[in-house]
Amino acid sequence: MSSSEAPARAAGDAGTVFNIQRFSIEDGPGIRTTVFMKGCPLGCAWCHNPEGIEKKPQLMWFDVRCIAARDCLAACPRDALELTGGGMAIDRAACDACGKCAEACPAGALEVVGKEYAPDEVLDEVMRDEAFYRNSGGGLTVSGGEPCMQPRFVEELLRASREAGLHTALDTSGYSSGEVLERLVRHADMVLLDLKLMDESRHLELTGVELGPVLRSARLITRERKLLWVRTPVIPGCTDSESNILALASFIAGELSTVERWDLLAFNNTCGSKYRRLGLTWGLEGAPLMEKSKMESLAAAAGESGVKEIAWSGATRSETVPR
Amino acid sequence: MKDSCALGAEELWNPSSELPERVTRLRDEYVNIHEREFHNEIMPFTTGTEWDTMWSPALWGVVPDLLAFHKAFMESLPLFATRVELPAGFWDRPHVVRVATFFREVVSKHLPVQILDGELIVGGQYNVALSRAQNRAEAKAWGKKTDKWLEGIGLLNNHGMGNSGATPGHIIPDYPRALKMGLKGLAGYFKELRDKAADDGRKEFLSALIICCEGARELAERYAREAGRLADDCADPARKAELIEIARICRKVPWEPPETFHEALQALWFIHMLVMVQESYPGPGLSPGRIDQYLYPYYRDDIDSGRMTREQARELLDCWWIKPNYAYDFIWRVMRIRGVTSGYGQLITIGGHGPDGEDASNDLTWLILDVIEEMNLLEPKPNVRLHQKTPDDLMTRVAGMIASAQGSPFLLNFDEASEEALRWQGLPEDMIWDYAPVGCLENTLQGNDRSGTVDVNVNLAKAVELTLFNGTDQATGDRLGPKTGDPRKFKTWEEFRAAFEGQLLALLNRFIEFYDFSDSIRAGYEPTPYLSALVDGCAESGRDVTNAGPVHNFVTVEGVAFATAADSLTAVKKLVYEEGAVSMEELISAIEANYEGHEKLRQTLINKAPKYGNDDDYADGVARYLSRFWTEEVFKHHTPSGKRYRGGYLSWNYWIAYAPSTAATPDGRRRGTFLSNGLCPVAGTDRKGPTAVAASLGKLGLESAPNGDSHTISFNPSLLHGEERVEKLASYLRGYGEKGGTALQINVIDPETLREAQQNPKEYSNLLVRVTGYNAYFVMLGKEIQDEIIARETHEL
Repeated sequence: MSSSEAPARAAGDAGTVFNIQRFSIEDGPGIRTTVFMKGCPLGCAWCHNPEGIEKKPQLMWFDVRCIAARDCLAACPRDALELTGGGMAIDRAACDACGKCAEACPAGALEVVGKEYAPDEVLDEVMRDEAFYRNSGGGLTVSGGEPCMQPRFVEELLRASREAGLHTALDTSGYSSGEVLERLVRHADMVLLDLKLMDESRHLELTGVELGPVLRSARLITRERKLLWVRTPVIPGCTDSESNILALASFIAGELSTVERWDLLAFNNTCGSKYRRLGLTWGLEGAPLMEKSKMESLAAAAGESGVKEIAWSGATRSETVPR
Repeated sequence: MKDSCALGAEELWNPSSELPERVTRLRDEYVNIHEREFHNEIMPFTTGTEWDTMWSPALWGVVPDLLAFHKAFMESLPLFATRVELPAGFWDRPHVVRVATFFREVVSKHLPVQILDGELIVGGQYNVALSRAQNRAEAKAWGKKTDKWLEGIGLLNNHGMGNSGATPGHIIPDYPRALKMGLKGLAGYFKELRDKAADDGRKEFLSALIICCEGARELAERYAREAGRLADDCADPARKAELIEIARICRKVPWEPPETFHEALQALWFIHMLVMVQESYPGPGLSPGRIDQYLYPYYRDDIDSGRMTREQARELLDCWWIKPNYAYDFIWRVMRIRGVTSGYGQLITIGGHGPDGEDASNDLTWLILDVIEEMNLLEPKPNVRLHQKTPDDLMTRVAGMIASAQGSPFLLNFDEASEEALRWQGLPEDMIWDYAPVGCLENTLQGNDRSGTVDVNVNLAKAVELTLFNGTDQATGDRLGPKTGDPRKFKTWEEFRAAFEGQLLALLNRFIEFYDFSDSIRAGYEPTPYLSALVDGCAESGRDVTNAGPVHNFVTVEGVAFATAADSLTAVKKLVYEEGAVSMEELISAIEANYEGHEKLRQTLINKAPKYGNDDDYADGVARYLSRFWTEEVFKHHTPSGKRYRGGYLSWNYWIAYAPSTAATPDGRRRGTFLSNGLCPVAGTDRKGPTAVAASLGKLGLESAPNGDSHTISFNPSLLHGEERVEKLASYLRGYGEKGGTALQINVIDPETLREAQQNPKEYSNLLVRVTGYNAYFVMLGKEIQDEIIARETHEL
């Protein structure tokens, strides 16, 4: 992104984005570009994008790239870095992610995750794959983090993208005020909604937030007659009970009439290194992958929802390529 | 590993269990090379003179691995050559007639004739080394030039500058014309021309073409007799009937025009096989072209009239499919120690559009796709022409084969960009639609175009080295290029760029001069009248195919190490001249030290300069400059015989071979690390996924490289499972074509499986992968290429 260094032109609309991922084939129909908004009100135990939780930009350190050149230490205006025998110690209270260390590092071992963009800067980047969207029925997906946390930016990005002829999708946890969600949904051709758990106390325990707003959002999307794809992360010991899937299926069947598809996403265990780069520990480090047979039986249970397309994907313990 | 991604050997793409019993048997017979009694090994034939030669180094210049062996081949082949009795007056005839006569004598009397049990298409042993039929004076002159040539190629190759040779194969003969007219019709046409010809030279040349056609007829007749003999002894009435039918067909074709699908396939095989005999070359690049188009009328007629069922057609195609694979017997004893030779590229093309721009695929296209899938062999190598109007179902079928096939042997050619480039090249509009690739992906017209693809291979990264070291080779200090100045004294990027252009122009000129010489050896001393009979323009112009006889004549210069060179220039431009982050002084010292002790600088070069392949306008802009500069330059040149030079991107195995002889480069690459392959980004530097790579390619203005441009993308198989993903791959291909790439191969294989295969080669003997336009059995590749394939950036989420 050659424009990444430029300041947001309309500061009020600026958004903090932690990744613009081209050739996304998991986030809606066709080939898409997914814009990941930084900041999420949830704290799911299994979160595989921990760099998307904190709203502010953060410094990441990649141990495998570090060549101990030490240029970063001198470059840091806040003296927040120390190269120890155990790796780079980052004083996260002091670090304001100014990026001077990353600029100084010859090896790319330090990166600031999260950058401010104006909506049109992101749109310029997204438009680069227009030919692929057109040929595949794809487009733009705004995801996160939680896009509803940056409504002005996301609203403008969705609006401008549609104006440019792109198909737009909003990927949300549903944990948002109805007013915000309504504004964003209006500019989206479809919504991807995460439904994780139907048990209220388990939801609060494992995601850190109440279930109620999520269900209200689901109903709102339905009222708005928006095409909906539901997605459920299937996490061992958390969301993978048949009763949970059946409860979700019952809610979908009873209340969500616009659901076209329901994806069961098997637990992804490859994100441990992301936690380490952020100086975080992950409760699910080393947890086993799902079993293929379990995924298949859950997908069968999901059929109770009456949704016409039930799909499951992801790596499993016995093999990684579902047939 | 508990969560291993590796696929078991049994899950790989094996031949279909649905194959007819006879086909399974024939396929097994071919594959089990060590158990076979016969081999299609090189058979030398000599005139018996003491100066005779059966091996021409200049024809093998682009296989530098053979440099050490040329003398041995030249000396040893005569020792076990079969002496051919020459007809009276042989030595009184002009050279081209001697060559034709010798060819005829060999095929009509000596070439082994063997019909395998159960086969429906016959003609198996064709790897030969024919005498060049030179008289003493010709041989002496040829020998002198060849010695000089050997010196020249050694210098170029050993310094990593590249290589060059007057390469046989790599052409699409006009098989449709030969089928339509029969060789009898062709011979008749040549006789008419001969009657009208004014000068003796032309008359003799046309006589040579006629002699070759007659030789082909006589070989077919020998097969007819053999089939008849076997039929007489055959107790099985079904097989007996087949043998009688084979005898009938061989008595008819290729002399008379074929009228049925079976006859057409047999005729095509004889005609094609004999080109390999004539050129004494085991088929690399000798390509049949758009077989689903020109064989379709025969197929349709037989189906419509009820003479043949679709299943019978499939079985005939299956039998035909095995034939080209026997070319590999050429190197079967040494197969495992060589690199990517396990893909010769007798390329067939299917799909594409017609003269009206509408899609031209037909039922035979679909049948051929089935055959490719169920046979799972290296040859004939399939290429599918894709265009904006390719129907969705065909697109999905192709994408599905790629996605499910663990390295399915597919090359994809994109019509719009390919044709735009052929237009740029100045080829006639009414023929461009019918283009087809030869060999790997090299675009030519069909039947009338000798484009000398792969004849010149220039290491673009070497020009960077020569710029940094003022025209000298960094390792040896040898002067290889002009003095363009000490770059430590350059103040601006423009000065550096001017020096680079000076080095690159000198390098290109050096190769053009050397190729002119190689070409003159072949044109002067090694005519191939049988091939000339099959290529439009030769008979009419009275000139051999080796001597600019065809209607269209080009020499292709393939750019090697493109991305390595482009990223190197980008790093210098940005970090040295624009940002001043790196000094030229330090850069040169670091390169001299192969970056030993300069890791910080090396990391800066890697991480602080943008890289081609990420849809980054800065890096892609430099890449475009490089591509346009050298391709437009070569297009200004012609050989003395009138062939025009043109550019392209195909780096066969040279991106590996020249890694040790190319100094460290300013993109942070150390000497010995592989150069970049084809138009691919430097391995591991493309981090924005396959759409960004396609966009980068699209910015290069590839019409100035009309040969076509090798590009390989690897996908992790987990990315492509399921119908939905296959559809997405199909859409990706449409987008890719729109962006402007010309030729793409997709490897669908995960590194775990490859590592598993490396450890257990026996279990994975069927694992196909793609390397630079070649499909190769992974376990037969050299270890270093295996490692490279494993290390390739695999696009995954």
